[in-house]
Amino acid sequence: MNLYPTDDLPLSGIRALELSEIWAGPYCGCLLSDMGAEVIKIESIQRIARGPINPPPDGMYPERDPGERPWDRQANFNSTNRNKKGLTLDLKTNLGAEAFKDLVKVSDIVFCNYARTVMEGFNLGYEEVKKINPDIIYMLMPGYGNTGPYKDYRSMGMAIDAITGHSYLRGYPDMDHTNNSLVHHPDAAAAVNATLALSTALVHRELTGEGQFIDMSQAESFMTHMGEMFVEYQISGAPRERRGNRHPAYAPQGAYKCEGEDNWIAISVTNDDQWFSFCEVIGKSLKKDPRFSTVANRLKNHDDLDAIITAWTVARDKYTVMYKLQNKGIPAGAVLNCGPDTYADPHLNDREFFQIVEHPEAGIFPMSGPVLRFESTHGITIHNPSPTLGQHNNYILEEILGYSKEKINLMEEKEVIGIIPLPGADLGGSRRASEEQARQSNAKFNNDENV
Amino acid sequence: MPYKALDQFIVLDLSNRLSGSFCAKTLGLYGCEVIKVEPVTGDLTRKWSSDPNSSGSGDSPLFHHINAGKKSVTLDLNSPEGRDILDILIQKSNILIETFQPGEMESWGFPYKSISRTNPGLIMTSVTPYGQTGPHKEFDYTELTVFAMSGAMHREGLPDRYPIRYGAEVAQYYSGNLAAAATVSALLRLLRKGKGDWLDISIQECMAGHPHQIGRRAPFIYSGELDLREQPRLSSSGTREPYAVGTFQCKDGYMSFLPLGARMWPNIARMIGREDLLSNPLFDDADKRTSNRLELEAIFQSWLNDRTRQEIFEAVQEAGVPGSPILRSDEVMQNKQFLERNYFTLVDHPQQGPIKLTGDPFRLSAVDEKPLKPAPLLGEHTDQVLKKMVGLDDNQLTSLREREIV
Repeated sequence: MNLYPTDDLPLSGIRALELSEIWAGPYCGCLLSDMGAEVIKIESIQRIARGPINPPPDGMYPERDPGERPWDRQANFNSTNRNKKGLTLDLKTNLGAEAFKDLVKVSDIVFCNYARTVMEGFNLGYEEVKKINPDIIYMLMPGYGNTGPYKDYRSMGMAIDAITGHSYLRGYPDMDHTNNSLVHHPDAAAAVNATLALSTALVHRELTGEGQFIDMSQAESFMTHMGEMFVEYQISGAPRERRGNRHPAYAPQGAYKCEGEDNWIAISVTNDDQWFSFCEVIGKSLKKDPRFSTVANRLKNHDDLDAIITAWTVARDKYTVMYKLQNKGIPAGAVLNCGPDTYADPHLNDREFFQIVEHPEAGIFPMSGPVLRFESTHGITIHNPSPTLGQHNNYILEEILGYSKEKINLMEEKEVIGIIPLPGADLGGSRRASEEQARQSNAKFNNDENV
Repeated sequence: MPYKALDQFIVLDLSNRLSGSFCAKTLGLYGCEVIKVEPVTGDLTRKWSSDPNSSGSGDSPLFHHINAGKKSVTLDLNSPEGRDILDILIQKSNILIETFQPGEMESWGFPYKSISRTNPGLIMTSVTPYGQTGPHKEFDYTELTVFAMSGAMHREGLPDRYPIRYGAEVAQYYSGNLAAAATVSALLRLLRKGKGDWLDISIQECMAGHPHQIGRRAPFIYSGELDLREQPRLSSSGTREPYAVGTFQCKDGYMSFLPLGARMWPNIARMIGREDLLSNPLFDDADKRTSNRLELEAIFQSWLNDRTRQEIFEAVQEAGVPGSPILRSDEVMQNKQFLERNYFTLVDHPQQGPIKLTGDPFRLSAVDEKPLKPAPLLGEHTDQVLKKMVGLDDNQLTSLREREIV
């Protein structure tokens, strides 16, 4: 239930057309719609872009049951497309392209996180779209930007993480990089920068009446999140190496084992005052131990100190340790796992981060909430469910575009729109195409991954 | 180079932590005039240094990065006169960014309620580790401790070892960036409806609501699936051609690969010159390639051993296999794509000399640019700003300076 008028959010009255899948583009769409924009996610029944569906990683479905419409029950998709409206369109057909162009006339934004040339391939590139709506804000966000030798390189978060220097810093300092994890952050960095880009262009348009093309490089946007590393290299002449959980100026710092299975507490002692308080908590005799008397000494004898701290934490509850240390002003945080721990976290719950969402195909679940809280809406956020495939076809074609029933029926007949993937449709995920298809036309299937 | 899209807006940057400071810097990259208010002794991040003795200016690399383009005004907020000056600065600004503990602004006499009365159009952006409400709102934090509480760290690393953080200060940068996006969106509402707003940005929440967190948390709530630390080669949702998943050593460093699914197999076989393997009954479907992965991995590895990252990067692009070289910071700065796009931006710092800083996160085609200025010296713009915005004269400034209020 909405307790405030939804037409008074920061982006109320803005309509955006989203063409994207997986993380970076979809989460940008989430943020826009969280802030009140009407985001129309354009999909198709020819090619399903909803993450791994087949073979089913069972846990991806409510109660491990893919159901009759697995594409509407996919966990990944349903968590990263909240608040949007869903439209299917086959952009390869005249009818589909025409509907897209009609939507462009009444939209403010088009954004796409597929490879740079995909929209051009549909003859719906910026130059074309601008002819229909000169004020449109149009953003392409391929991995490395729209110019330069890598402009057509396919990429994913993994690639951006590696090429920007972030992967080099990850992992355990005493092991080599082959143990690096596969969870990659750059998609998220791209999503927030894409949102900033679009809102900046909206403000510019509000002031000048001008629309524009935005050239977004996922790699370049993520590198602003590591800027000090490049300055450090220029000043010191030495590239930064891996640090693990340690810090060059804070000691001790690390993740320490707690009571129970795979429970940990993160602790950072950032100055001498905190160190003395820390000693009060875990053992006063440490205060006088010359090995730990200064930051420099604590850094030098960090391994010894870690052993002492672990001996104290190992039989204690992670939250108890956290509260004990925080009460003394020492930065500490329980290492929460992504599932049960965050769901149980009293603070996230107090802020109503999880919201009960009723999804027409997936059922009723507490989903992770939007994070942008405005005083004008009393900090309350809206979480409408992610759209099922083609859920809003009628609303969009009939109410927004004023298409006749006959025309909509024709579009359905010609398979331009629909709510069920066509027989033999590309279902996406890890079995996007059969191996046979892949063998025959591998180039064709590799043109769509800037996720 | 900064774009002049938002150049009619003044940002008052009171932040003393990375996230808020980066938010303000980013707004400056798109034209805002950013006035950084520091204590007379300087912002703590000037000294927050990964390498305390490394900077000729005495300022940390972090400070250079997150304050480029700003103006610096010193002001003692503990003195009544300092607070009076702040009051005027707030009234003449469009955006206020702060990272104090919840309640601290109020304790100085600046609760949002009264600020919004004197300057109803103001957008105040508060970026704190846990937000303005809730039982943990007063917790102190570092990148490590707040990252730990977001759900992102527990799965990072190997199952038999401790959880490990990412490489960069991602939680703080990410939330600061998100704060900037929300702030500019609030500007649109201001222009359309004349209304200001107050944003409550929690770093924990930003990271817990990060697309990867929500995506990976959903299987837990849908079906109880846990997301624990795994061996990278075997960590896959669905079939991912496990013999080529993750990071591999090659002739001159490391390459990361993430081939998504069976359709990649012919591409990989062709890339490594082993199309014969396609018809080998040991490897002719995804399940067999998974059970025989060690054998395939050895073949793949031997192909990598003789090749440099550059050679492999060209080969993967040619073959349509997702792969990318792991670059070190100095190599990133020499990368031809970033050079060709003039990404790194040269500034000339009066004490440090020329430094290259990271450039624009995105490029606007319809907006003019202006040169990026280096991070300010402490109090460099005190006189300029206080004369222009507060109307102080030289005598008043001298008096304030003598009493160490500026």
